[in-house]
Amino acid sequence: MRQWLHRMNPSVKFVIITISMITMAFFFNPWTPLVFFFGVVLFQLAFAKVSWKIWGLMMLPFLLGAIGYFWTTLVFGNDNADPIGTALSLSFRVLAFSSLSLLFVFTTKPVDFILSLMQQLKLSPKIAYSILVGYQFLPVLKDEFVQIQQAQQLRGIVKPKSPVKGILAMRHVLIPMLAGAVRKAERTAFAMEARGFTGDSDRTFYKRVTIGRTDFWMTVMFVLLVLISIYAGITGPAIQK
Amino acid sequence: MVMRLQNVMRMPDVIDLQNVSFQFPESEKPLFSRLDFHVKQGEKVVITGPSGCGKSSLLYLLNRLYPANCDGILSGSVTLFGRDASEYEPGEINKRIATVFQDPDSQFCMPTVEEELTFTLENAKVPAGEMDQRITAVLEETGLSDFRHAVIQTLSGGQKQRVATACAWIMEPDILLLDEPLTHLDPVTAKEFVAWLNKLHASRDLTVVAIDHQVALWDGFFDREWQMEAPKQERPQVLRQVSSEAAVSLEVHELAVSPILSPVSFSLKEGSIGVLAGPNGSGKSTLLKALCGLKSTGGSVKPDRIGYVPQSPEFLFLTKSVREELAFGGGSNVDQMLERLYLNEVADAHPFAVSHGQKRRVAIGAMLCDGRPVIVMDEPTAGQDAAALQELESLLVEQASEGVTFLIVTHDMNFAARVADQVLLLREGQLTGIFTPEKVWQDEKLLCEHRLLPPAGGERYAAVASPHESFC
Repeated sequence: MRQWLHRMNPSVKFVIITISMITMAFFFNPWTPLVFFFGVVLFQLAFAKVSWKIWGLMMLPFLLGAIGYFWTTLVFGNDNADPIGTALSLSFRVLAFSSLSLLFVFTTKPVDFILSLMQQLKLSPKIAYSILVGYQFLPVLKDEFVQIQQAQQLRGIVKPKSPVKGILAMRHVLIPMLAGAVRKAERTAFAMEARGFTGDSDRTFYKRVTIGRTDFWMTVMFVLLVLISIYAGITGPAIQK
Repeated sequence: MVMRLQNVMRMPDVIDLQNVSFQFPESEKPLFSRLDFHVKQGEKVVITGPSGCGKSSLLYLLNRLYPANCDGILSGSVTLFGRDASEYEPGEINKRIATVFQDPDSQFCMPTVEEELTFTLENAKVPAGEMDQRITAVLEETGLSDFRHAVIQTLSGGQKQRVATACAWIMEPDILLLDEPLTHLDPVTAKEFVAWLNKLHASRDLTVVAIDHQVALWDGFFDREWQMEAPKQERPQVLRQVSSEAAVSLEVHELAVSPILSPVSFSLKEGSIGVLAGPNGSGKSTLLKALCGLKSTGGSVKPDRIGYVPQSPEFLFLTKSVREELAFGGGSNVDQMLERLYLNEVADAHPFAVSHGQKRRVAIGAMLCDGRPVIVMDEPTAGQDAAALQELESLLVEQASEGVTFLIVTHDMNFAARVADQVLLLREGQLTGIFTPEKVWQDEKLLCEHRLLPPAGGERYAAVASPHESFC
């Protein structure tokens, strides 16, 4: 039970989450996204092992965004019939969408997701393996970023205090980093080709990413959640009369 | 042995290059022309030649990365296993000819060892049912069973090269190509890798074609050496004497970076070249950064502005031309410095567009223009071939005789023997001491503890010293 969301086929999870999101977009009221948000949190409590501390940290910016939406809509919105209702609808929608995205991120291994995209959704191996290689490069690029920054500090570049200037100054670091990345990417491409990679889609797979009963039951759960949320939105009381 | 040789004689050519010329589309003259190269089945051949003569490109013609990937212009005939190379489908030849590359960090595309091995098998369209058995077998054969689920990024350079070899091995190829696989390893690790490969090779007598400029490290692994081009005349060693009256130009007192580096004190004289060596993870890079005022946690360094040249000099570059790069710190003697470092012809070029050797000159020039006459360099010898090392050597010697003081991190004791006045040895974050180079080459225990090999001429010194057993 605790692992169901992790055991789900990543492609199935991806499709069902996308469909849920699109469905949510058609219902503009405070109750639907609110119920959906709590449902998503409940799902993670019941079917997943999630570090709630990290979850909280990741949700924080979205929460601030939601509050921002609420505030600006309330103060600057020109819907005079139901300002609080509109504001709440918007901010709950932010919460519902962000929690759903985080659910996917927290319960899916990136490599499995790519493998599943190749096997179930017929993503071209050329694109799939490019993404996998890029993913391998991330920690290396992070190290290089720090090294370049330190080297340039020695030359008298001071870390600018204002964030805007900081972003502009970043280009000095990014250019050497990208130059190195291009060379590295070419070497990796050569190594992959030398090992017989052609990008053909008829390859065999050691790890079969399968679709099983878990996927069926979790899909049912998601559909139920969406339906309940919609029902709550239709029958839920209006915020202001 | 005679039997074996006779067998080799009767074997057919697996690689047969006749009258081959090759040219990159963007260059004006061919990289190499009218080349004949034959390898018989079961032979172990090493290709040598000065840098830039096209050794790697030749290897890429054999595993069909070229000419397709660079639109290169190829003439003559390349015959592999008795069939013209161009007749092979993409990826077909790679099942029979496997390659190990030089950079351990950029030849993997999956997170773990097992996934990396399956990548090879999946490319070859091996049925899924067979894979597990083949992976287990190759891991056992290569002695890597414990690393099956290890994350490749966390392995050491030597381990990564073994994994890369296992990935080639699992294809059960007829020919193994090695593209300078030792370049990024420290000398002791390189020797261990060769011994490991030798043992592995004994079980399956396949053909090996390698490129390497340090044939001595291979301990007679190869049947023959094929010189692609005659080496350039080696320049005699420039003798240099640091005057005993020279002033102290670098004074380090109790410099520490807790918890990596225990307090370190030493000094270097003006115009001297110090070499800093020690095993990976002993804190060499940390010490360099601390010297430059990054992240030290106590102690003092004089002078406070020290020049730093990272392994990739381009990390330092901030401007659009070599001239601006030198002038960036506000130095006034830019023209003179361009002249002194032979950078006049590229003064207006973009610093990213010049050669690696020139980039290093630009970096050193920029440091000198900034008024930093003490320069530390992080592994400038890693991955450099003989010609590049010679260029680096003359650069150091010239600048040192002008009064610049250098501290250089390197594993390459051949290089150290040619330039160093002092050798600083570092181990587990502690400075073992400062030695004269001769003393280090004589002391096997010291070399061993710091994972170093004596320079090629080192036996000379060892013979003078009392003979003793290896300590580790």
